[in-house]
Amino acid sequence: MAEQQAVEPAISTRGLTKRYGKVPALTELDLDVRPGEIFGFLGPNGAGKSTTIRILLGFLHPSDGRASVLGQDVGADSVGIRRRTGYLPGGISLYDSLSGRDALDYLGDLQGLPPVRRDELCERLEMPASVLRRRVRDYSRGMRQKMGVIQALQHDPELAILDEPTEGLDPLMQHAFYGILADLRAAGRTIFMSSHVLSEVERVCDRVAIIRRGRLMALHDVEELLARRKRRIQLRWRGGPPDLSTVPGLTDVSVDGERIGATLLGDVAPFVRAVASPALLDLTIEPATLEEAFLEYYADDAASPQPEP
Amino acid sequence: MSWALFRRTLAWNRVRLLVLLLVSVGWGILIPVIYTSFSDAFRQMVNSGAIPRNLMSFGSGDFFSLPGALTLGLQHPLAIAFVAVFAIGTPVAAVAGERERGTLEVLLSKPISRRRHYIVVALAVVLLLAAIVAALLVGEVVGAVLLDVSDELEMAELPLVFANGLLLWSAFGAFSLAASVSFDRAGPALSLSLAYLLINYFFEILGSLWPDVQWTQEYSLIHHFNPGQVLQGNADPLDFVILGLATLIPIIWALVVYPRRDLAAPA
Repeated sequence: MAEQQAVEPAISTRGLTKRYGKVPALTELDLDVRPGEIFGFLGPNGAGKSTTIRILLGFLHPSDGRASVLGQDVGADSVGIRRRTGYLPGGISLYDSLSGRDALDYLGDLQGLPPVRRDELCERLEMPASVLRRRVRDYSRGMRQKMGVIQALQHDPELAILDEPTEGLDPLMQHAFYGILADLRAAGRTIFMSSHVLSEVERVCDRVAIIRRGRLMALHDVEELLARRKRRIQLRWRGGPPDLSTVPGLTDVSVDGERIGATLLGDVAPFVRAVASPALLDLTIEPATLEEAFLEYYADDAASPQPEP
Repeated sequence: MSWALFRRTLAWNRVRLLVLLLVSVGWGILIPVIYTSFSDAFRQMVNSGAIPRNLMSFGSGDFFSLPGALTLGLQHPLAIAFVAVFAIGTPVAAVAGERERGTLEVLLSKPISRRRHYIVVALAVVLLLAAIVAALLVGEVVGAVLLDVSDELEMAELPLVFANGLLLWSAFGAFSLAASVSFDRAGPALSLSLAYLLINYFFEILGSLWPDVQWTQEYSLIHHFNPGQVLQGNADPLDFVILGLATLIPIIWALVVYPRRDLAAPA
């Protein structure tokens, strides 16, 4: 029994569906987020990411299906879920008339838990006391976003639900934020984050779900997904083109004079062995990116007929 | 009870409250001054036939007795505007306003149920309304004492007048809060709440100025707050029942509708 509890998903949805009238926003979403992982939730605008998050936090009521967060049902125990969760809304709005410090105090008081991580977060996100003394209305977009991150994480929640968390953060602060996420994961906290930034998801997430038109398109380990991606290869070759017919996974070979292009799926070693020759003038193997994977999923989806809403 | 939310709701209104308390006390003092200064002149004008008597009335009040004058003072558009700041402005800002600004998103991501949010805001609104109604009454009593006409008032009935006034404004506050939890933007909630108040006011004033349609007053909540009648020991329990129902119905509406609403992402 204790073992079962230990592996209970931090977030679980089964057949989760949300319709606005006859228009489906989310269709039969089945998802399990493991405790202690950073889970990326990818999709374009209107894909259903925010709808899912808002159902998990009790802002929206599902039309069908069920969802639980930290073992608690989203319909019956919404307050209990929010007590154990930190939430960063997308494009966060804060209380402009309050100082940063007062806003954090107020939101911390509402949470009802001591802000044990606040000082550390303020330091890492470069929000010193002098900045927190200023009114929120005077903050830049990036500073508001940092405030959003701090208010979501200051009470050290078991689960953080972050909607586009690096929106508005400069590269340095993004880097600091990724460090915070890594530390939270190391501390056993679970992160569920939606994002448009594929490189970010690729960098920080353990697993990623891709959603489109309210339907789950894919759910993978990020590393596994990358390993399965096609890479673009370009090489310059002196003389006639090499024999690449024995290289597994090589497709779309094109020859333009001494320039040769191809697409490689899978292990690069056989290909490298095949082109290891003095005739090789130049070789470029583009790294596999999540963006390519993402676009492939969407291309496949676009090519297949969509069910009528 | 979320004390943090309660304190913050009050804190956001503290400057307004301070200003309106001072203005309300001042307005209250002014009413006995007008009564003692112009009551005889008004009476002579009516007796001479220069002005029809009903035109010297305004709502349920008049200037021919101190209780009537106090009623008039509490039903005057200025007094109504003072109280409406908290009966309409605060409820609309507290839910629909926060929703429009996007801050409700952050607030409700904390462990506070929507019902609790509603109840805390409602309690804060009632407290603010109680302060303003009390300030108006205190001003009137102070004015009456200063002008040495306090013997025309049955002081023992003042708590009942306060309760009657608080109930009236709680009814408007409850309506505004019900409108506030029903809309995503402050504009529609504010418009609906103001329309409700103005229709009630229109019925009350129309019936007092035009005897043929005096029946319209019965359909105005404002008519059921009659300090003059209460101060003369003639409080009508039905007034309290009607105002109580007018308060209760929007509360029930809000407690049912607010938790069940879908709060989509702010635009």
